[in-house]
Amino acid sequence: MTTQTTREITYLEAVREALVQEMRADKEVFLIGEDVGTYGGAFGVSKGMLEEFGYERVRDTPISEAAIAGAATGAALMGMRPVMEVMFMDFLTISTNQLVNQAAKMRFMFGGKCSIPMVIRAPSGSGTGAAAQHSQSLEAWFVNVPGIKVVAPSSPYDAKGLLIAAIRDNNPVLFMEHKLLYRLKGPVPEESYCIPLQSAEVKREGRDLTIVAYSIMVPRALEAAEKLAAEGIDIEVVDPRSLKPLDEETIIRSVCKTGRVLIVHEAPLTGGFGGELAAVIAASEAFDYLDAPIRRLGGLNVPIPYNRTLERAAVPQVEDIVTAARALAQEGK
Amino acid sequence: MATEVIMPKVDMVMETGTFVEWLKKEGDHVNKGDPLFVIDTDKAAIELESPADGILAGVKARINDVIPVTEIIAYILAPGEALPVKSAPQQVVTISAPARSRVSAAETVAIVSKTIEPGTVRVTPIARRLAKELQIDLTQLTGRGPRGRIHKADVLAFQKSQPSVESLSVPTAAVTAIESTTPVIPSATRAAPQIALPDARRKQVVPVAGARKIIADRMVHSAFTAPHINLSLKVDMTEAIRLRERVLEPLKIQTGQRVSFTAILARAVATVLPHHPYLNASLSDGNIILWEDIHLGIATSVEENLIVPVIREAQNRNLGQLVMALADLTDRARNRRLTPAEMMGSTFTISNLGMFGIESFTAIINPPESAILAVGKMVDTPVAHEGQIVLRPMMELTASADHRVSDGATVARFLADLKVTLENPYLLI
Repeated sequence: MTTQTTREITYLEAVREALVQEMRADKEVFLIGEDVGTYGGAFGVSKGMLEEFGYERVRDTPISEAAIAGAATGAALMGMRPVMEVMFMDFLTISTNQLVNQAAKMRFMFGGKCSIPMVIRAPSGSGTGAAAQHSQSLEAWFVNVPGIKVVAPSSPYDAKGLLIAAIRDNNPVLFMEHKLLYRLKGPVPEESYCIPLQSAEVKREGRDLTIVAYSIMVPRALEAAEKLAAEGIDIEVVDPRSLKPLDEETIIRSVCKTGRVLIVHEAPLTGGFGGELAAVIAASEAFDYLDAPIRRLGGLNVPIPYNRTLERAAVPQVEDIVTAARALAQEGK
Repeated sequence: MATEVIMPKVDMVMETGTFVEWLKKEGDHVNKGDPLFVIDTDKAAIELESPADGILAGVKARINDVIPVTEIIAYILAPGEALPVKSAPQQVVTISAPARSRVSAAETVAIVSKTIEPGTVRVTPIARRLAKELQIDLTQLTGRGPRGRIHKADVLAFQKSQPSVESLSVPTAAVTAIESTTPVIPSATRAAPQIALPDARRKQVVPVAGARKIIADRMVHSAFTAPHINLSLKVDMTEAIRLRERVLEPLKIQTGQRVSFTAILARAVATVLPHHPYLNASLSDGNIILWEDIHLGIATSVEENLIVPVIREAQNRNLGQLVMALADLTDRARNRRLTPAEMMGSTFTISNLGMFGIESFTAIINPPESAILAVGKMVDTPVAHEGQIVLRPMMELTASADHRVSDGATVARFLADLKVTLENPYLLI
């Protein structure tokens, strides 16, 4: 990987580039999903791929997420490396039996005699006016299933590197692509590269407070950090990038440094992944460095509303992060 | 329930208060907040308020009584209530008045009273840990967090505001008393035997107070609790002198300062000390804390007092940076413009009296450090060198260490390492 070949592309193009490069490199890799072929994917991720790889490797399916997940699981069992796409993460509910009871279990139940190298690509999150059935962030459910990994990149660079790592992984990996991030531009090398799944990244260094955020909440946290920097509050933003396996060390190190942590995610707060992060931090050596309670900021416990104003109000926005981070940073000061 | 009225601790070093007068009579009804009694501290007379509503009873304190802090001097009873047979510990009222020194005699100090049950102090984990390390009693703090929660900043602010805290955890400005053959016996050491003073005319009586008292208390504490091991050796400074001459001009251009031998010594100590962790350590609460950082205290003479400005993380500074740090600290020390933070928290101290012609001496450890290095003057001395008797500039180093933390051999190895480094100063690169 050299910097000469790095250029600015969108998150969506980075996902496509990872798919194309992996499909060129390994003929066992194929894409399967609704409208991924002729239509080019619900959001246009696979545009042009049918022309290059043909119907065998870019497979349109009937409208049955159960069938997509089942077919992908079967193909993975037989040694292929399927990448399945659901149009919206919400539709994973229909795939859940195949994913949770079959794909996640087989390697364990057959004593390691098989592996399930598959990727489940799932556009997630709200902000597009798609209402309650097309806007969810369901990562916490899958994090709680042994045998499935969960990845949630926040930048074009991370999306490409993590998707390639996910495709090469021998386990089912749920790959969350936030719909609002698809148009985000960032530097991405042309060459193929891998980002190890268990590697969090400090996206911004700071002294006063750590924000742990992933997916769309990373750019929002970074924007909030810039605003608070003007007030003299110096925020560190840590992106776990992969929720499972989780790079606990990077997060703990950051909290040890700042003594304060705000966890931010879009999914509803109750039962959300933030609770897991909070518990990991509280149980670690970072406990002795905490100078304020661990705080979480998450979505409201409501289905995502269709009304744009209410939709916006239902999940953390930049100003919510600013308010919560400022209050936490100033607690006791 | 009977509320105890106690001799309050209105500043950190207060151990007793002199009772002046009751402003209410026994049997009077008092309201919480009413002026109740007056005490005299060594700083001022202070009027104190009633901690509760009720009837003043069980009055024990009388004029000019010298009463230890927290001792019960009366009770406030509910109507019809009898005096407690013994002290009722449930309702201990801790009075913490802001430690205002030099208040006028008439000034009323507001009493912040609160009922504290053990274990109910709201405090963040790091603040709790820090308070333990600094031996600060959390019940004496008021937190600025929600519902009085104590944060790290509160503990640090408290520590800063209490340079005279007797807890030895804070090496402050305090001054390693270097010429230590006659330890000062301060008023605080109550065990001092009564010895008749000479029948001589007095020129002046200087109270043992302020910085002098802190020095006195610390040095007594160090001298009588830390068994000192003192080891000396002589270092041939020929090469160190050559090194200094070589770098004098370049470093002067770079830093604007002349390299001192103290800077070279500081660099040598900071280089060697990481290999001898028990000399860069503190004894605290049954543990020996080995410090990763070397916060190097440099004993500096300012008029009648010695102060110890601190070069933080000396292990990470090269010679030029040490020269600049030293120049800055000593300059500001002499102009009394150092902040308290710059004079506390050292983990090891260097004391150089060479400039006064002192050839060798032993120092008293500056607590909570566990070792100190006393540096003498370089003296041209006839020594055997490569089969000849020649004059070489010899400098005597005396390391004193706390025998509870380290042993003679540990100190010897440190000194030997330091000698090798100073005699081959290119090892400092």
